[in-house]
Amino acid sequence: MRILAGAALGLSLLTTAAPASATTDIDFFFPVPVQGKLANEMTKLIDQFNRSQNDVAVTAVYTGAYDDTNLKTRAAIQAGRPPAAVLMSANFIREYVINDEAIDLGPLIAKDGQTPEKFIAQFWPAVRTNATENGHVYGAPFHNSTPILYYNTDMFKEAGLNPEKPPATWQDLVDAAKKLTKSDGKTMTRSGIVIPSNYDSLGWVVSGLAMSNGGDYYNRGWGGEVYYNTASTIGAVQFLDDLVHKHHVMPDGVTDAGVASNAFFAGRTAMMIQSTGALGFIRDNMKLPFKVAFIPRALRNAVPIGGASLLIPKGNTPAREAAAWKLIKYLTSPEINGGWSRFTGYFAPRMAAYDLPEMKAYLAQNPDAKVAVDQLAYAQPWFATFNTVGVRKALEDQVQAVLSGKVKPADAMVNAQKAADALLRPYVEQTALKLPQ
Amino acid sequence: MSQAVLAAPALGVRHRRILPHTTLLALGLLTPSLLLLAAFTYWPVMGVTLRSLTQQRFGQKPSWGIDNFVRLFADPHFSTAAWNTLLYALGTIVPSLALALLLALALREQGRLTTLLRTIIVMPLLIPLVAVAALFIFIFLPGGGLIDYYLAALGMAQTNWLGDPDLALGAIIAITIWKNTGYYMLFFLAGLAGIPEEYHEAAKIDGAGIATRFWRITLPLLGPTIGFVAVIALVNTLVQIDHVIVMTGGGPSDSTNMILYYIYQQAEQNMDSGLASAATVICVGALLALSIISLRALEQGIHYES
Repeated sequence: MRILAGAALGLSLLTTAAPASATTDIDFFFPVPVQGKLANEMTKLIDQFNRSQNDVAVTAVYTGAYDDTNLKTRAAIQAGRPPAAVLMSANFIREYVINDEAIDLGPLIAKDGQTPEKFIAQFWPAVRTNATENGHVYGAPFHNSTPILYYNTDMFKEAGLNPEKPPATWQDLVDAAKKLTKSDGKTMTRSGIVIPSNYDSLGWVVSGLAMSNGGDYYNRGWGGEVYYNTASTIGAVQFLDDLVHKHHVMPDGVTDAGVASNAFFAGRTAMMIQSTGALGFIRDNMKLPFKVAFIPRALRNAVPIGGASLLIPKGNTPAREAAAWKLIKYLTSPEINGGWSRFTGYFAPRMAAYDLPEMKAYLAQNPDAKVAVDQLAYAQPWFATFNTVGVRKALEDQVQAVLSGKVKPADAMVNAQKAADALLRPYVEQTALKLPQ
Repeated sequence: MSQAVLAAPALGVRHRRILPHTTLLALGLLTPSLLLLAAFTYWPVMGVTLRSLTQQRFGQKPSWGIDNFVRLFADPHFSTAAWNTLLYALGTIVPSLALALLLALALREQGRLTTLLRTIIVMPLLIPLVAVAALFIFIFLPGGGLIDYYLAALGMAQTNWLGDPDLALGAIIAITIWKNTGYYMLFFLAGLAGIPEEYHEAAKIDGAGIATRFWRITLPLLGPTIGFVAVIALVNTLVQIDHVIVMTGGGPSDSTNMILYYIYQQAEQNMDSGLASAATVICVGALLALSIISLRALEQGIHYES
């Protein structure tokens, strides 16, 4: 009797479970590059998605910083249990493609009756290069940033500068910084400008300066080349060297991004270059009046893109891929993408987000956020190669030595090029130098 | 097992069988920990050794050889990291051991004040190294940090402690000394408590001064403790690099890069598991050799005991 009842119960459970089995359970890895409150907001977003439909149940897994997320994703792929979707630092996508670890989103896009070209055209032009490889789409941009110039308006007024006319060129920057720098004899009590020069920040900033100085910095179509020992990059590094050792408007040695913000808050620097992604953080912590402006230009306006895109690692079942795709479309929809942008300070890569009334109201209220969006017109793709982090570090080690007065820019870039070429060599040998036998 | 133990006397060959039975029993009792050791220690050690001898570069089939070690010794980043680790080891072990011994000697007497002072000195041990690093970032802040604040009062210029390649390693060393001295002092206090008071009294009667008693009695009898603490300190310099990661990321220009962080960079940033494994093998080998040498040397030096 009992057994029968048990069987009946089991059967009824099976039948009631049947519709539920149509739900695909997937996991989603996401990093939080700035502050803790972003993790809660992401969890809220995923809950909202789960409640909005019955086909997909997403478990959001917080995986640390960008680099940790990369590490955990690779480990999961190698263990044969890849996550269904990952929010990945946009310049790592190329390495996933090189290592054949990310799926081409083309077939999923085609199922929606769209073409890859049309899909990627929904995002700002500047973010497209890092999400595609040879015409194939591998990433869906989710949030992005660029460097921007923050300046203390009180100090501008005090130095006789017009806060409504921030420096537009490198020459303007040097002139303004000289007027803004204060020192008592040998000690600089207030610097004209601070530029973060820790690993990661420095490579990003130098790539932007080199691009502004007319260069490309790296081969955008193929991950085997960087242009360190070139006039455009040497000039950019010389500019940094001059700010420290010739014009004496920037502290020498390496300044961490956090230390730079701290100096800006405490009034120990009049200007600072920092990510637009830090806009919310700086707005919350800066007691003194400040404004933001485009990064001053050399030959042209140019800034590198930063941020993250959504990708689907290889090794998932078609059902999980389809479920992940549904999540990706939700997260990159204009409403959600715009809301995340307003919450974080990142700009929304989805262009249509800016047509929504909430977004228009937000930009009207926050002119600094508008400057960040306007600068997008001049944004260039983010540095991405084989061994991106190591190749970036090859430059950073040398530029740090320049900032510390240990080596001259021209020699530094010879060294950096040599170190980077050695790291790129295994990939180059298997691609550009692999010739017909 | 129990059956075999019970069966043994019945066979009447008790005397010859006792040894194998106890061996079997010992083996049986050790099996769980042996299995765990094999699965989580010996197997990974073998795996790393094998991987260090596997040459696998992008897009090529793996092959056997010593190419990883050749590349490792040719890599200037590795020599920098090894040199930094050596400086870091010397710079932290010698001062922190000397300081710990001095403090232990000064605070060995029981008393209200010494107990308080001991507690204060051991305090840094209780703070996680990551938290220490976050704290010291602000202490070292150029211009606005605690150190520069007081240096400015003395009329000294502001210093970029963590951003200057000539100073960064020194700053890291200073933090490590501050963090570990109290810990080593605890060992020395225990070691000092184990030295019988009679030796000192006998020496005093013979007219030996403080210095003589320290060099001839205290220091030799502390030998085993010093050996033990030195090995612990050595291992610490290799594995405790949390503050390097948080404060400098190995920079500026690799000036605070350590072997352990180099291994991480190769394995996780450059995806070069061969190079990382080769560096691990060299590092663990050197550590093992140094530990054996230092323990042996100190064991031989102890001639006062028993």
